[in-house]
Amino acid sequence: MIWLTWRQFRTQAVVAVAGLAVLAIYLVVLGLRMRATYDADIVDCLPADCTGARRDFDEAYGTQVALVGALLLGVPALIGAFWGAPLITRELEEKTDRMVWNQSVTRTRWLAVKLTFLALAGVAVSGLFSLLLTWSASRYDQLIGERFQALTFASRNVAPVGYAVFAFVLGVVVGLLVRRTLPAMAVTLAAFVVVQVLMPTVLRSHLMTPVTGTVRLDAEAISRADFMGFGPDGARIDGYTMPGAWSLTTTARVFNADGTPYTQQQSRACDRGGPEAGMACIAEQDLHFSYTYQPAARYWTFQWTELSIFLGLGALLAGYGLRRIRRT
Amino acid sequence: MTTPIIETERLGKRYGRTTALTDCTLRIPAGRVVGLVGPNGAGKSTLLGLTCGLIAPSAGSIAVLGNRPGAGAAQLARVGFVAQDAPVYSGLSVADHLRLGARLNPRWDMRLAQGRVERLGLDPAQKAGRLSGGQRAQLALTVAAAKRAELLVLDEPVASLDPLARTAFLRDLREFVAELGVSVVLSSHLLGDLERVCDHLVVLAASRVQLAGDVSDLLATHYRFAAPRDLPPGADVIHADDSGREPVAIVRSAAPLPGAEHADLEDLGLAYMTRALISPEARRSPEGRHLPEAER
Repeated sequence: MIWLTWRQFRTQAVVAVAGLAVLAIYLVVLGLRMRATYDADIVDCLPADCTGARRDFDEAYGTQVALVGALLLGVPALIGAFWGAPLITRELEEKTDRMVWNQSVTRTRWLAVKLTFLALAGVAVSGLFSLLLTWSASRYDQLIGERFQALTFASRNVAPVGYAVFAFVLGVVVGLLVRRTLPAMAVTLAAFVVVQVLMPTVLRSHLMTPVTGTVRLDAEAISRADFMGFGPDGARIDGYTMPGAWSLTTTARVFNADGTPYTQQQSRACDRGGPEAGMACIAEQDLHFSYTYQPAARYWTFQWTELSIFLGLGALLAGYGLRRIRRT
Repeated sequence: MTTPIIETERLGKRYGRTTALTDCTLRIPAGRVVGLVGPNGAGKSTLLGLTCGLIAPSAGSIAVLGNRPGAGAAQLARVGFVAQDAPVYSGLSVADHLRLGARLNPRWDMRLAQGRVERLGLDPAQKAGRLSGGQRAQLALTVAAAKRAELLVLDEPVASLDPLARTAFLRDLREFVAELGVSVVLSSHLLGDLERVCDHLVVLAASRVQLAGDVSDLLATHYRFAAPRDLPPGADVIHADDSGREPVAIVRSAAPLPGAEHADLEDLGLAYMTRALISPEARRSPEGRHLPEAER
């Protein structure tokens, strides 16, 4: 059975290995270039130049890193649509199911071997790609990236492996139910995209109870925010991010030490000198705001949880498929 | 008496609201080459699919070689199947198909398989997708035969072949059935094809079994005559055709009918099929049309 699985998978395997080889070369070159730039421009940069050097680095590599990340996000979708969906439908369409399911191997075993073998191939492809990208983009991630950001989180470390296994089994089961290749591919892609959108936008932040804390609005905090403005009910701070953490607060009201809102009148006292002096003055007011987030230390817990969830979903789907194929 | 190859009891299969097979009760003894004949859509493929476990019955029961069809690897090993149009993997070579058979079947007979491939003049390196219809059917049959099953089920094996390939296929089939001693069930919508190889006949029409029995018994009890005449008690007119120049009737009678010639298999099958398609009475009560079998 393993021989047959390999024999039927051979061409797809060659395509995958070729694609992976091209990507590997690209990612190694990209990684080495980023390291060189990092060593030359970022390490030992003078404080006055650092912001500029950081911006240049982002401009030089940001797009490439994001594109390869998106590609890695697409790999499980491709695996689901091109390896998973046709696995059964192609047999049904060419009527070879009638041949292969009448050899001395039960359908359950036929499917179990195919699922195991190809899921492992999916693990290898997505795992290698993720490893390469994680290595290649490590300087970028260290300097600029937010590792909880949806695209970055889903295209680094172990999470992509879970997506690949899930997408593959999803494709197989959809194929088993839909029974025709093209519709099965389309349904698989659509379902996988829905899951990939729901996961970061709705579900992931609830996997662990977020932490809510009070942050003192000092110079450090101001430098980590995008914008501070005033509304009728007092000051607001936008886009503050704690180092390495996943911000769940996008905008927060700013309060005085006694809990009353910090008002525009109060801020006028700081309106002297340039904007920098003004900010330094505000930082001295002992202001604070409330901030909800997932702490940086939870990153790996989130990665492993994500992997477990998708492997678990894959196993559930596989169990269903193995039962369902007996009555096909 | 050995286990019958196929034993069904009020077997039925429905697809949604369509009835493909209904009320099928059969008992086919071992060691036969069984011809399953019927018009297109009569339920032949359904019955064969049920036999090898490719589909599950929606009513009644079926036992093949004494077990539930497709019940496990052991049962799968005992029944070989070639589906309609002899599907093979177009991307795999002839040799790959033999390797597939060897890997997936515990009793695979590689000598038999290679011998057949050689004798049929198939190139082992040829991709199956490039074989002619006849060669494809032969390859599928080779894979099914080298499995060394006890029962071979062939669904319309010659339907897509030209007359020459058809004759060659049937001759070859007859030879290796004798050689291997397997039981065979093969279907066709043409009685002429089956006449040459079968010793047991099942006529299926309108989703029901119309007739089943050993060919020698059937031939011995069916008569054909040109003019209307008086029938002895117990004789039964299966179908009278008066559309031709002379009216022709096919009659079943256990007692000899002096002066009447015996019907040939083609006349006989046709009579039962025609009756099933024109007479609602025959569709309702196919039971009792079975001939007594010598083994019972």
